[in-house]
Amino acid sequence: MSQDSQSKQDARDAGQRLVESRVSEDPFAAAFKATRMPMIITDPRQPDNPIIFTNRAFADLTGYSIDELIGRNCRLLQGPGSDPEKINRIRSAIAAQENISIDILNYRKDGSTFWNALYISPVRNIQNEVIYFFASQLDVTNVKNKEKELAEARRMAEKLVDERTRDLKAALDAKTLLVHEVDHRVKNNLLTIASLLKLQARLTTDMTVAGTLHSVLDRVEALSIVQRKLFTSEDVARFDVAEFTRELVVNVVGALKRDDIVVTLDLSPVLVPAVKASPLSLIVNELVGDAVRRGLKDGGGRIDVTVKRLNGHFLIRVDDTVETVDFDREQQEFGRLVLETCAKQLRARIERSMEGDINRVEVTLMVAGEEE
Amino acid sequence: MRIMIVEDEALLALELESELQSAGHQVVGHAMASKDAMNLAAQTMPDFAFVDIHLLDGPSGIDVGRHLHELAIPYVFVTGNLKRIPEDFAGAIGAIEKPYTMSGLQNAVTFLETLVTAENVPISSAPPSLVVAPAFAC
Repeated sequence: MSQDSQSKQDARDAGQRLVESRVSEDPFAAAFKATRMPMIITDPRQPDNPIIFTNRAFADLTGYSIDELIGRNCRLLQGPGSDPEKINRIRSAIAAQENISIDILNYRKDGSTFWNALYISPVRNIQNEVIYFFASQLDVTNVKNKEKELAEARRMAEKLVDERTRDLKAALDAKTLLVHEVDHRVKNNLLTIASLLKLQARLTTDMTVAGTLHSVLDRVEALSIVQRKLFTSEDVARFDVAEFTRELVVNVVGALKRDDIVVTLDLSPVLVPAVKASPLSLIVNELVGDAVRRGLKDGGGRIDVTVKRLNGHFLIRVDDTVETVDFDREQQEFGRLVLETCAKQLRARIERSMEGDINRVEVTLMVAGEEE
Repeated sequence: MRIMIVEDEALLALELESELQSAGHQVVGHAMASKDAMNLAAQTMPDFAFVDIHLLDGPSGIDVGRHLHELAIPYVFVTGNLKRIPEDFAGAIGAIEKPYTMSGLQNAVTFLETLVTAENVPISSAPPSLVVAPAFAC
C-alpha cells in the first residue's frame, strides 16, 4: 500500500470512528449528512490536517465526489485567484486553533470559481485538545457579484458626478469672472460719468450750466452709492435702504461743512429686493436733497431722517426746520418729477405736511413679502 | 499736501486731480502702471498718495502700496473691489470705494489731511466714505 492510499485510508478510518462513536440513529450525524449547508470535518492530528468527513452538499458545491475529498487538505479548493493574504489568515487561525470567518474565492473541480463564505471552528475534547476542525461553506457568489456590480455602478456614478461637477465649476468660474468684470465696468463707468460732469462743471463760467451739471451729478452719485452697496451683504438679492441712507446723509451734510446743521438719524435695517434699490435710493436722495436745496446749505437747521418698518409698511420720513430761501424753481420741479416718478414705479404714497416750523415728507410703501 | 495719484483711468485721475487742487492740495504726479508709480514716488517723495489696485500692468496697486509703506508715505487705496485688498491692507490707512461721490471724496480728503498732518486724530471720526484699515481702526 502506497503512502498516499495509506493516509487516505487513515482519513477514512478516522471518519468511520467518528461516526461509530455515535449511536446509529444519532440525529446530529443525520442532520450533518442531510443539511443543504456544505460542511466538512478535518483531523489536525493526522499529517496535513486532511478532510475526514464531508456531506453531500459540500460535494455538490465543489464538484468533487465524497471519495475524492476524503484524505485531502482543504487547499484543493484554492487557485490562482485566491487572495494569498486571506489564505495566510486561514492558516494562522488554524495554527492558533481559533475560529475564523472569511470570504475567499475558491475553485471547483472543473476549474470554475465561486465565492465561499467560509467558517472554521476548532472542536475540542474534554482535555481541551483540538481533535477536529469543523468548517462550513456558503456559496456567496451572487452576493459578491452584486457587490461588484454595485461598486462598479457607484464608481461610474462618481465618475459622472465628478465630470459634471468639473464642468459646472468651470462654467461657474467663467460666469463669476464675467460678473466681476461687469460689476467693475459699471462702477468705473458710473465714476467716469460723474467725472465728465464734474470736469465740465469746473470749466463752465455759466452758473446755470454748472448748477444743471451738478444737479445731474447728484442723481448719478446716488446711483453710484447703490451700485457700491449692492452685492456686498450676504444676501446678494437684498439691499438695505437704511445703510444707504446713513451714508448719503452723512456724506451730503458733511460736505456742506456747516456747524449749524443738526442731523438726527432713526434708521433700522430695511431690506428690499435689489431691483427696488435704485428708485428707493433716488427717493431718499430727493427728500434729503430737497431740504438741502431749500435752505439747509444756506441757513442751516435741523434735519431728521427716519427709515423703518411700520405696520407692515416701509416708511421713509424726512423732517426739517429749514427756513426756505430763494431757490431755483426749475431744480425743485425736476426734483419733484424724479421723486414722484420713482414713487409711482414703487406704488409708494407721498404725504407732505407742516407742523409748526417742521416741514415733513413721508413716503410709505409695502414691503416685499407682505405685498405678494 | 503734496499728493501722488496712481490710477489707470486717465479721466478719473484728471478729475481727482482737479478735486484735490480745489481742496488746496498739490498733485506732484500721476502714474498709470506700478513701475512708473514707484519711480514717481522715489523722485517726488509725496506727503500722500491715492492708489488704484487695478493698473495698466494688472492688479499691481498692492505692490505699489507696500512700496509706499516702506518709504513711509501714507496712502489709501481707491478701488471698486474692496475684497482685493489684503487683510493687512498693505500698510494703507484705508480705502475709498469706487464709485465714490464728490461729497464722499471731499469728506475723506479732509479727514485724511487732518490725520496725516495733525496728531491724536480720533480714527472714529472717519467719514463713511473711507473704509479704515483694521490696523488703524483699533
